[in-house]
Order: sequence, then structure tokens, then C-alpha cells
Amino acid sequence: MTAAALGKSRIFPLFLGLGTLVAAILLIEILIRIGAINRFIVPMPSEIAESIPRVIVEENVPARFWLTIKEAFWASILVTVVGVGLGALLHRVQLLRLATETWIAALASAPTVLMYPLFLVIFGRNAITIVMMGFVAGLPPVILKTIEGLAGTRRVLVNVGRSFKLTQTQMFWKILFPAAMPTIFVGVRLGLIFALINIVGVEFLINFGGLGQLINELAERYDLAGTYAAICFVILVSVIVFEITERIERWLRPAG
Amino acid sequence: MAETGRLTRSRSAALTMGPVTLLRVAIIVAIVVVWEATARSGLLYRDVVPSLVVIGRAVVGQVLEREFYWHLGWTGVEIGGALVIGGLSGLIVGLVLGGSRLLSSSFESFLYYLGPTPKIIFFPVMIMWFGVGPSSKAALGTISCFFPIALSTAAGMRQIDEILIRVGKSFRANTWQMVTKIYLPAMRHPIINGVRLGLGVAIIGTLLAETKLSNRGIGFLIINSYSTFDMPRMYALLIILFVLAIGANALVSRLGGIENIRRN
Amino acid sequence: MRPIKWLAYAAAIAFSAAPALAQDKVALTIGQRGFWDTAVAHLGIEAGIFKKHNLELDITYTAGSGETLQPVVAGRVDIGIAAGTLGTMSQFLRGAPVRIIGAEATGAADYWYVKASSPIKSLKDTDGKTLGFSTVGSSTNSIVLAFIKEFNLKAKPLSTGNPAATLTAVMTDQVDVGWAAPPLGLQQIEEGQIRVIARATDATIVRGQTIRVIAANAQSLEKRKPVIERFMRAYREAIDYMYSDNPKVFSDYAKFANISEARAKRVREEFFPKALMQTTEIKGLDTLMAEGVGFKQIPAPLTKEQLSELLQIPK
Repeated sequence: MTAAALGKSRIFPLFLGLGTLVAAILLIEILIRIGAINRFIVPMPSEIAESIPRVIVEENVPARFWLTIKEAFWASILVTVVGVGLGALLHRVQLLRLATETWIAALASAPTVLMYPLFLVIFGRNAITIVMMGFVAGLPPVILKTIEGLAGTRRVLVNVGRSFKLTQTQMFWKILFPAAMPTIFVGVRLGLIFALINIVGVEFLINFGGLGQLINELAERYDLAGTYAAICFVILVSVIVFEITERIERWLRPAG
Repeated sequence: MAETGRLTRSRSAALTMGPVTLLRVAIIVAIVVVWEATARSGLLYRDVVPSLVVIGRAVVGQVLEREFYWHLGWTGVEIGGALVIGGLSGLIVGLVLGGSRLLSSSFESFLYYLGPTPKIIFFPVMIMWFGVGPSSKAALGTISCFFPIALSTAAGMRQIDEILIRVGKSFRANTWQMVTKIYLPAMRHPIINGVRLGLGVAIIGTLLAETKLSNRGIGFLIINSYSTFDMPRMYALLIILFVLAIGANALVSRLGGIENIRRN
Repeated sequence: MRPIKWLAYAAAIAFSAAPALAQDKVALTIGQRGFWDTAVAHLGIEAGIFKKHNLELDITYTAGSGETLQPVVAGRVDIGIAAGTLGTMSQFLRGAPVRIIGAEATGAADYWYVKASSPIKSLKDTDGKTLGFSTVGSSTNSIVLAFIKEFNLKAKPLSTGNPAATLTAVMTDQVDVGWAAPPLGLQQIEEGQIRVIARATDATIVRGQTIRVIAANAQSLEKRKPVIERFMRAYREAIDYMYSDNPKVFSDYAKFANISEARAKRVREEFFPKALMQTTEIKGLDTLMAEGVGFKQIPAPLTKEQLSELLQIPK
């Protein structure tokens, strides 16, 4: 088979990708065992694997996981309700939209997560700060995508609504909102991902809460293998969230 | 803040200029009044919401202070280093993945998965590898900006018109010539967009790392004003940082964006 | 790594005022910037003491004990100042290449306080209330646990972060009792906003015990023994200087901690007797280790052999 043909097959790339990963892990294991990599800096992959059950039990990973999920849940509820609400408002009141849309876009490119010390002072060192950080980070994409989605509703649909003499409210819930749904979800998904990144990040930075704090604590206790295991765990969580939301997004996207 | 950052500007700017500007002024005035009223009411604990006069004075104080530029310089060096290393390696990886269907379907999903993980969690590892100095911050910035740049380069490469590639091949261009004469010019737009996104996350990664463990940089100044409870200074630093970050973002968009869109 | 080093080098030339002299560089992490006991290195540099010993210090302040030790263990800095004694022991027991080269604080000046309007008058009134400490595993955490045990309290410990965050938490009723260490909170005490209800020395774990130490990386200690010994000599000299009549001590410290000179003086006179800062002996090890086992910070007291390997205090 040629390289092009191999690229088209489904199994071979998966095999190659995973195979390379396994080979890389084995190589690191060997390099550490022969002393080419300092084992006080990089623990052996086998040690990391070994530490996973211990970390899960001793460090209460299910409870931490649940805490982080709860924070992400509240942040995404806030982000969705406030973001879609504001987006709809800006869509309705064109003047307001013209005045503020560039501001929101600018805010989206500002490193808002650096405001965490400010939030610490305002809300204290607790879950509220973390949820609020997630909320602030996730809000701009939801607002912007909501406006984009509502503004992109096809004329035909709007005209159909008009011919049925729908009220403004009916128009919004029956025509505009369903039509804008896929685009809005793109925004909500982005918002959720940003929120999750910030939630775990702030947990790590302020040493409070769920999975982020776990990494900080294990690192400070010089539990090397545990630290790496916890990092793998966070990667796993983001892979799962990423994957699930992408499926929903694809499912919502209109065919063609 | 990826895809949403770029926006359709108001179409009828000239017509609506009047009321829009008016409304903007009204919103700003309203915020100022509410803020100042809260600051003076004493309802919130001391200095959590300082008066705008105090914040303004702190901004001026920072801008006039020599030490501030020393810290800004270090942050700049860290971010610059991150962009050079992360950007170049991202570009190369993106070109390789974009050019080979086999490699892209084998390895690109790893990038997609690692892309949205919070990079700051790698900071303990970066400290162990690169120390407590600026290198570990630059390293965190590097892994932050690598992903968006690699992914948008790979995606951009696949969007290149087949005809351009065939033209290049018919001239018997070698790989280097293909990259510099065909691929890169045709992909300017996605690459610039990748750099824009990369810059954003590099700023975040570097500064967050500075707030965690550092003795220099803007992130260090922010966390330092927190631990000495100097709220006006913290507001001042955040304002300056936001202005710089938004400005840098706009600059990169301007550099590669506008004329390029027209060409497409 | 080359390009970063190169860039850092270029930046060092561009931004540093003083050209690098042929001095021995020592990298330090120090827990919590601004306290009197963690200001030794800074004041010593300002007074030219470390320079006199041909030492150039590169200081990074951290948020607490764990963060101080982490770079030491990874060999990225030579010395960590104000690491928790028990935390250092526990890392040593895990095989981390760390040694203790001096005492940092014997006893502590930390205190616990309430809002002026609070009904709490002493620790005994804290049943069902929340007691703040910095972070899990820190010395303030051990002290709060010791309070609860020794005074038989039904209070709930709550991690509130550094003194600034804790003060806000107390003033906005997020926590009932907060902690601080001088000079933080002195202004609020003087203005009558807060009231002290307990001092760290009320707990036996603190009284006469060396709760924080100076830790060094084992490889650094082996390879650069003369430099580290010189550092300790300079460090002790800096402490002597801090307790001298030189007015520069107070003016430098006032500037460093962002307080008035009068308050700087009060911090030294009222809260930090010189004995607290002695470096030559780790005191009260037996009591400390027993408490550490009780709070599960270490699995068992260290054996004599382990202690003789861990404690390498230069004369």
C-alpha cells in the first residue's frame, strides 16, 4: 500500500498514533532506567501508572472530580443564561449592539483570568471565586455567537413567522432561537471549555477546590509520580468534555 | 476566545455614528457614576472598590515608575521567547501534519485533545525542568501557543488551492521552495490567525505562571499588590495589562488580517 | 532551551543596572514576602553583607512551605528559607534530596484575631465557628489543629490563604477567626478594627519549637559546600545586623514591607525576640515529631541515623 492509501484507511492511522505514543512512553521508561533522564525530575511511566490507584483512593479523587464538575456546571449555567440573554438583548436593540459589540470582542481577547487575585479579594478564597472566574472567561464567546446565530436566521423563516402574525416573543422562541441554536451551541461549547480551563487553572493557582488543587498539593509534597498522574487525569477530563460537547455540536448542526 | 474575537464591524458606521457614540458615552458615564458611588458609600470593605481618582493616580504612578518597565521587559522577553519557540515548532508541526494525510489522521487528534487542557497545570513540571526563573514561564508560554499555531497551520495547509500546488510542482520547485513560495504565502491568513490566538494564550500562560512563582514580570507585580493588599495598584496593573493585550491582539489582526481577506 | 537562555541573557544585559561581578550565585526561595523573619536576605543585601561575603542572591518569594521546597527538591534553587520543619522531614522521608542547614523560626509571631465587633473574646468562644489558616500542611495549619486539640474546641478549620486574603475574609464575615503575622494587621489592630484573641505561642507545638527551617538541596550542599557555609555565615551576620542599633534596618524594612518606620520598629521589639531567629539548633524536635505523627504529617519519628543525615547545620 502507498502512504496515501494508508492515510485513507481508518485503522492504520489510529494504530500508528497509539503505537508511537506507546513507543515514546517505553523510550522514556528506558532512558530513566539507564539514568539518561534524571528520575528526581521525571518519574518512570510505570511508577506513574502504579501511583494512579493510590492517588485516586488517598487523595479522594472522586470527590475532587465531583467538586470541579459542580463548579463547571454552575459556571456554564451562568454563562449560558447570562450570555444568551445578553446576546438576545443586543440582537433586539441594534443601537446597544453597535455600541458594545466591539467592546465584548476586545474583552474576549483580554487575559481576564489574571483578575483572579481581584476576585479573591471580592469573593474570598472559595468556590464562588472559582465559579466567577469560569463565568467571566466563558461569557464573551456565548454573547458573540448568540448575536451571530440570531442575526443569521434565514429571511424565509422570518417571513414565514411574519405571515403567521407571530408576536415578538413567539417569533423569538419559535423561529429565531431554534434557527440560531447550532451557532449558539458553538458559543456555549467554547464558553464551557474556557470556563473549565479557568476553573482548573484557578483551583491550581489558589490551591483550593478540586482537580487543580490536587496537582498543586502533590507537587508541593514532592509526590512526583502522583503529580504526573494527576496531570494525566486532568487531561483525561478535558478530553472527555471536549469529545462529548463536540458530539452534541455535530448533532445540532443542520445537515448539509 | 478564538473564533469569536474577530467581528463584523458595523456596516452603516457613518449613519449611526451619532447615537452609537452617544450611547457609548452614556454607558461609560453610568459605570463611572455607579462605581464612584459604591466606592464612596463605604458599603464594601475598604479599598475593594477604590475611587476612580485613586485608581487613575495608581495607573499614572505605574507608568512613570522605572521599575515597572523592568518587569514589563522581562514579561516581554518571556512571551517573545515563547512565541518564537512555540510559534516556529507549531508552524513546522502544522506544515508536516497539513502536508500528510497519514500523519495528520494519526497524530492530529493528540493536538486537538491537548489543545483545550489548562496549560497552567504543567507549571510544577516546568519548574522542575527549567527552574524558578524566566525560562519556566517562557516554557509555559511555549506549550500554550504551540497548539493553536500548529492546528491552524495544519488546517490552513489543507485549504490551499490544489492548482497552486500543481503550479509549483510543474515548476519542479523543491520542498523548501514549495514551503516559502507556495504554502506560506497562500496560508498567511490562517497562520496570522493562529499567531493571534497563540499570542493570547501565551500571554495568559506566561503571566499566570508569573503570579504563581516568580520574582519579576507583570504577573509578579499583580500578585505582589494582592499580598500587600494594594488594591489601587492591582486595578492599575490589570488595566494596563488589558490595554496592552487587547492592543497586541488588534495589531496582529491588523498586520495580517484586513488586506488578506480582500485577496481571498 | 538555548534560545530562551540566549534571550534571557540579552534581557539581563538590557535590563539589569549592575553588571554581573565574579560572585558566587546562590538561588533562594523564601516563604511569604514581607515578614520580619523572611526579610533577612533582603535586608542583608541592602546592607551589603552578602556582597561582602562574595555572594549574589537570586530570591524568589513563594506562597508557602510546599512551594518553597519544590524547587529546592528539583535542584532548581540551592536553598529554601522558611520551609516547614515537618514538611521538610516528610519530603526527606520520601527520598527527596533535601537537607536542613539551619533553623529559621523557633517559636512564631503569628496571631489569630477577630473583627472588633465579634462576640468572640478568646479561643474558648470559638465552638461552631471557623478558624482560618493559610494552606493545608503549613505551620499555621498545624497550629490551628493544635489549638483545637489542646483547648478541646469544636471550631472548624478553614483555609483562607495569605494574611491579606484572610483579612478581607474576616472583615466580610467569610471566616470568624483569621490569622496574620506582623507587620500585617498591625495597622488594623491600632485602628481598633480587629482584636487579637490568640497567639501562635499559645500552642505547645510552637512554644520553643523550631517550626520553620532553612533547607538546601543535597547535591548543591555536596558540590558547593564552601559557598553554602559562607551563605550561612552571611545570613547569621545579617540577623545580627537586624538586631543592631543601625537605623538603616528600620528604614529598609519599612520600605520593603510598605509600612511606617515606627511600625517596623514595633514589629521587631514586640513580636520577634532575637531568640526566635536563631539558626544553629533545631529545637524541640521530639515534641515536634510527636505532634507531626499525630497530625499525620510524618509517618513516624525520624531515627537517629535519619536525623544525622537530614540535619547538616554548618558551624
